[in-house]
Amino acid sequence: MRAHLLTEDQRDCLQEITNVAMGRAGDRLARLLDVFVVLSIPHVSILNPTDIAMALHSLNRESNDVVHGVCQGFIGGGIAGEAMLIFNGTDFNDLAKLLKYDRVADEQAEYELLMDTANVLNGACLKGLAEQLDTHFSFGPPMLLGQHCNIADLLQNNNMTWKQALVVEINYSIENHKINCDLLIVIAEHSISGLVEKLNYLLD
Amino acid sequence: MTTTNKEMTKFFEDVHWLMDILQNIDVGLVVMDKNYKIALWNSFMQNHSGKAPEDVLQRSIFTVFPELSEAWFKHKAQSVFVLQNATFTTWEQRPYLFRFPHYRPITGTAEHMYQNSTIIPLMDSKGNVEQICLIVYDVTDTAINKMAQQQANNQLQNLSRTDHLTGLFNRGYWELRLIQEFKRFDRYDQASTLIMMDIDHFKKVNDKYGHTVGDDVIRQVSRAMKEQVRDLDIAGRYGGEEFGVILTGTDAQGAAVFAERLRTTIEKMVVISEGQQVRFTISMGISQLSDKIVDHRGWIEKADAALYQSKEGGRNRYTIAS
Repeated sequence: MRAHLLTEDQRDCLQEITNVAMGRAGDRLARLLDVFVVLSIPHVSILNPTDIAMALHSLNRESNDVVHGVCQGFIGGGIAGEAMLIFNGTDFNDLAKLLKYDRVADEQAEYELLMDTANVLNGACLKGLAEQLDTHFSFGPPMLLGQHCNIADLLQNNNMTWKQALVVEINYSIENHKINCDLLIVIAEHSISGLVEKLNYLLD
Repeated sequence: MTTTNKEMTKFFEDVHWLMDILQNIDVGLVVMDKNYKIALWNSFMQNHSGKAPEDVLQRSIFTVFPELSEAWFKHKAQSVFVLQNATFTTWEQRPYLFRFPHYRPITGTAEHMYQNSTIIPLMDSKGNVEQICLIVYDVTDTAINKMAQQQANNQLQNLSRTDHLTGLFNRGYWELRLIQEFKRFDRYDQASTLIMMDIDHFKKVNDKYGHTVGDDVIRQVSRAMKEQVRDLDIAGRYGGEEFGVILTGTDAQGAAVFAERLRTTIEKMVVISEGQQVRFTISMGISQLSDKIVDHRGWIEKADAALYQSKEGGRNRYTIAS
């Protein structure tokens, strides 16, 4: 009943191109960070706000603390959405090591680290995706989740202007580092037309 | 004029007004090469920094602005060169990149301009990133508003948590913390002990000396409690003359030491109020959290029962719940 946002073929196609995009992203990240990045096969699904809230919740099952996450808007080629990066089981010191920061001095430095990581990971993935779709995305500045609002509460609020969204979920982990995060690329129904058009073009 | 000449004239006209926009747009624009040598410096940067283009062009940005952390900035810029991907800084993490004065020197309240910035890759004709552009936004007004809002929220939060007479946590917030502590025990199994206490014969104090004196007595007890609790302990006013303290990471024996100290302090205390000298005592009930206690209410009930025993036993004492 929810499947009408994308046909099965379109969905397979998207799965395929995100897979290629992730391969590229992994390669770029390896060059920037000198580490091997383990990327899961992207999982494409259609979700409503409550589903996403639940997904975020389950990603955060390890603790009752605030979700450490960063979201970033992107737009281009008739596609618009948000990339949400959720950190679970991530050690700040390992993250600092990864980005070659000297040390994590205080809370602000931790936040900056999260933002920078998110920007690098989101950027690599979305750039790969944009390339596959033969377009170019503009990015908004990353926003920390949980600092000013609780993301799950926000999504469970019934005032959302969208009812369902396309979600591509990718898990990242980094060899020899205690870093594990999930990237959700969320494209709302009202900004999906550009994507459908491009997928159809690729399918023809 | 030949066609080529016309085209050239048109091209220069176009470039001219494009440059005009870049120069006059009210955001800072700095173009740098791989060695961080400045190749473009627009009027925003020029006017706010007080440095003319001839002073900065072809010089390293780190020489021109020694306060800009070289390691940090290179680090940020590196991902732009390698990933060909924009990167961002926000005032919340780093108030500014360049210390510029406030745009409104007369009515502005901030000491400096708050800045967000974006670093974007500039591609050459071969698709390589040889230069980057730093865009600096003045977000001082947003920053000040947000900080004022946050401060107001914090004040409201404190007000809503505090008991006005004593400055201890009020009952609502204290119970919330009690619930949290109960849950924490469930997960981590670390000792935690609750003390419920009550001022002995408080009604008589009120009847004999009046409510103003009664209030002073309550304030003095609260002060004594605040002086003796540690940072991690949670002290609240539970009811009229009843108080609760959660001693985290403390067992019943540790809590008994605390209780005895507080008891003697208060026994020796003389409250002078409205020209009267008032002496009084407190009774306490101590309950260490255990697996047998099923919820936070059960925990309070146990401590309350012990408090009742102290009252029955002659007051001015503590009892450890069995």
